[in-house]
Amino acid sequence: MHAFDVIAVLMIIGAAAAFGVGASALARADDLVAAYWLVVGVVSVRGAVQIARSGVRG
Amino acid sequence: MVAATDDLSDPPDSAPSSSRASEATVPIRAQSFAPLARLGELGSVAQASVPGLYAWAVTVSPAAWSKGAPWVAKVAAIAGLLSLAGSAALEARSPRRARAVSVWGLGLTSSIVWLATPASLAPTHLDAARGITGIVGWALFAYAAAAPALKRPADSPLQLEAALKPRAKTRRGDMIYVAAGAIVAFALQLVGWRVLVPERALLVRLTTLAVGIAVLGASTDVALARHAKRLPVAGRLRRRVFVTWTLAAAFVLLAGLLFWAVQ
Repeated sequence: MHAFDVIAVLMIIGAAAAFGVGASALARADDLVAAYWLVVGVVSVRGAVQIARSGVRG
Repeated sequence: MVAATDDLSDPPDSAPSSSRASEATVPIRAQSFAPLARLGELGSVAQASVPGLYAWAVTVSPAAWSKGAPWVAKVAAIAGLLSLAGSAALEARSPRRARAVSVWGLGLTSSIVWLATPASLAPTHLDAARGITGIVGWALFAYAAAAPALKRPADSPLQLEAALKPRAKTRRGDMIYVAAGAIVAFALQLVGWRVLVPERALLVRLTTLAVGIAVLGASTDVALARHAKRLPVAGRLRRRVFVTWTLAAAFVLLAGLLFWAVQ
């Protein structure tokens, strides 16, 4: 497995954790914390896909 | 996939395509798909009783057996259930009467239940998710009751097409990525079930659903990208993308830490 693939997987794991924290904060009505962690999750997921797919033909 | 023989048979003068059709399909008897065949032989009223039963279970029975509901509501709810069963049994002899019994029987008895238990329809008692699924159930019942019955052609045995050949093989390890993504998406659905405010609960459900789909999609993309053919300059491109997105993630994390440190 390529190092970049490992990083992409780690970023998805991080994104899942961030989403979990964000959703829990949303359930507690802690909106600022929820928004922050959801943004962290979105950036991590997007980054993981971009890193994994960079340089692919087509 | 199940298809009728008539749709797949070829004219006698087209021998090559006929042989292709015989290769692509494996004739089977209806008895092999007994539940499916029996469902196809049911009339429209009996078919409509399935969504009717669902709508009854979601919207009528909880009201009839709610706390403080009068006995009239319970009797009417049971009568509605019996009207569904009776209409399915009556359909072979008189389809028109069966349809009337099904639609009017369930509709009237359900109305009696709701009139007898008006508190069950109050916004404080009606769960949003149950309300939405109830609407879907009644819409399906109305559609199934109004639509003609789904029937297979009388003299055509069912045929099963041979398994389609995949365009690409699923590589080893891909299933682990997809399964892990699915587990995370499922785990996210366990968050926030104790929220009391309905609007907040709905927002949490929508958010967890959206982020679950995002994680599942991303894990699938990463799994598929491992096997993709890459450009000759892929290494340089990947390094650039890696630096860009790592900096973006680090910036967001640091911004949050700084914000909380200042506060």
